Amino acid sequence: MAGGTKSSTGGGFLLKIRGPRDFFGGLALIVVAAIALWASSSLPGQQGFAFGPGTAPRIFAGLLMAVGVVITVMGLVVKGPPLESFALRGPAYVLVGILVFAATVRGIHVDVASIPIVIPAFGMVPATFLAFMISIFGSTEFRWVESLIAAVAMTAFCVGLFVYLLQLPFQLWPMF
Amino acid sequence: MTDLLANLALGFSVAAAPMNLAFCLLGALVGTLVGVLPGIGTVATVAMLLPITFGLPPVGALIMLAGIYYGAQYGGSTTSILVNIPGEATSVVTCLDGHQMARQGRAGAALSIAAIGSFFAGCVSTVLVAALGAPLTSLALLFGPAEYFSLMLLGLIFAVVLAKGSVLKSIAMVLAGLLLSMVGSDLETGAGRMTFDVAELSDGIGFTNVAMGLFGFAEIIRNLEMSQESRDIVQAKISGLMPTRKDLIDSSGAISRGTILGSILGILPGGGAVVASFAAYTFEKRISKNPESFGNGAIAGVAAPEAANNAAAQTSFIPLLTLGIPPNAVMALMVGAMTIHGIVPGPQVMVKQPELFWGMIASMWLGNLMLVIINLPLVGVWVSLLRVPYRLLFPSIIVFCCIGIYSINNSPTDVLIAAIFGLVGYWLVKHDFEPAPLVLAFVLGPLMEENLRRAMLIARGDATVFLTRPISAGLILVAAILLIIAMLPMISKRREEVFVE
Repeated sequence: MAGGTKSSTGGGFLLKIRGPRDFFGGLALIVVAAIALWASSSLPGQQGFAFGPGTAPRIFAGLLMAVGVVITVMGLVVKGPPLESFALRGPAYVLVGILVFAATVRGIHVDVASIPIVIPAFGMVPATFLAFMISIFGSTEFRWVESLIAAVAMTAFCVGLFVYLLQLPFQLWPMF
Repeated sequence: MTDLLANLALGFSVAAAPMNLAFCLLGALVGTLVGVLPGIGTVATVAMLLPITFGLPPVGALIMLAGIYYGAQYGGSTTSILVNIPGEATSVVTCLDGHQMARQGRAGAALSIAAIGSFFAGCVSTVLVAALGAPLTSLALLFGPAEYFSLMLLGLIFAVVLAKGSVLKSIAMVLAGLLLSMVGSDLETGAGRMTFDVAELSDGIGFTNVAMGLFGFAEIIRNLEMSQESRDIVQAKISGLMPTRKDLIDSSGAISRGTILGSILGILPGGGAVVASFAAYTFEKRISKNPESFGNGAIAGVAAPEAANNAAAQTSFIPLLTLGIPPNAVMALMVGAMTIHGIVPGPQVMVKQPELFWGMIASMWLGNLMLVIINLPLVGVWVSLLRVPYRLLFPSIIVFCCIGIYSINNSPTDVLIAAIFGLVGYWLVKHDFEPAPLVLAFVLGPLMEENLRRAMLIARGDATVFLTRPISAGLILVAAILLIIAMLPMISKRREEVFVE
């Protein structure tokens, strides 16, 4: 595989990226380390013999930065496997399913750019059912009838387990 | 010796209490139930089921978790024998010969040898844990902050060396895990660190959220990409569960060797069950009179890795219970569970809560016995579970995880954080990063930082303290040697070969 990189973002670089997984992985590490360094920059550091709260985060962020740079450089120089393609459908539906569960189980009240977003508390039963029915679309082999039956069954099972067996104090049904 | 017996007697009196017996059985059952599901590993199983133990009394909760752990591991082997998909890393090698045996109509023999091998290994290693517990605990009393720091460093280096793939990337994962563990309030000053002024982050990132995201959600997202049609379930009715005399004779040597190897590798920090099963398989193949039978249904190829991974699963409790240091990701989850129950893992557990310590050890043996009793008759149930199509299974797992995470703090934010870590985990896998070292570092992080700070303070800012105290220097030396060996490209190539095989 002659420079088997099919990455499109490599165009701006003079060097050919030979190991794109390492290269982009390393870049991400550098970004994470930079964020950590920035976020801990205001914390007090070494005071006398004692570590301040900021000392350890800065040490480890610095080390991570160094390792990230080495991995990035290795990604430029050493030939590696091409980037794997990311699936969109699976992660998207699963993620939305989880987010819907988080948003509806107890409701949310947040202000995004001073616009209040209010989602009422639907409770566990609708939240579980919705999350199931949304995430199931992540699979390409979706069928309506069996999915609905499975969603009802799973919701009933979870209510039985968590609410009746484990006695957790959940709100089950919508409260507006 | 009499102490040991007295302690074990105390342990059995705790473990055999009807409630604890029930928790142990329940744990082994649900552990197997979830562990059988293809594509869900031991760590994911334990992470998923962690929340359901929170409401129990501490001893019961830990006994149940231990049961879940063995159950998950055993369930994983059942899956790899019956379906050609290893449920998890530890049963990859069981897949090689186990599935071949199943295709030759000897699934029953493979399953029962796996159970018998695991049980034998469990018996031996339970005694080992009990015997080594006391001396190691007294060793722990010699440990100061410098030694603890060095020991944890050694543990992390072990995790790096034994993880598959690039050593450098594993180190990066360790560092990222340490950084993540520092989000939240500083232990000494209470200053908020890297919280970005988000109120929910001021208590730090919850461990279960990270584990559930990286191992639960990420694995599901990844499995969705694979075609589900390649599953190859053994359709024939499983008969002849009792192994023949010849099977037993053929596998007895392999079981004992696997047990010894597994027990040793399990104690080592960072190692654990995965390496043990690989090592045992490779070893058996090497000393076998007819190595060509391996891969074509050799019973020793099932017996040895199964015995080894169970022995290792058991002995990996030793560093956790005696030194308070989790040697692998599952033990890291156990630390999380202990912390939630207000138990600080470490040498003081044995002194202050002997009923917990010995009760857990005794329940390990009982748990193994239960696995043999419940698994062989229930094989039919597990098989029918394997026939549930993945398209229905995965949304069930998702909602189960969601409720589990939410139940810990009644916090929707935790669910959100886990979802983010799910995406992160997916990204990591796509770029050949392994999440296990990250999780281990995330758990060890606060302990490591605390000991580092204390050691530096006691030494009046002199960093050479780690090299001038003999025990600490020895540990660092071992860590350095390990790292150098792993970094040598020749060996790292061989290392990959072992994992590919």
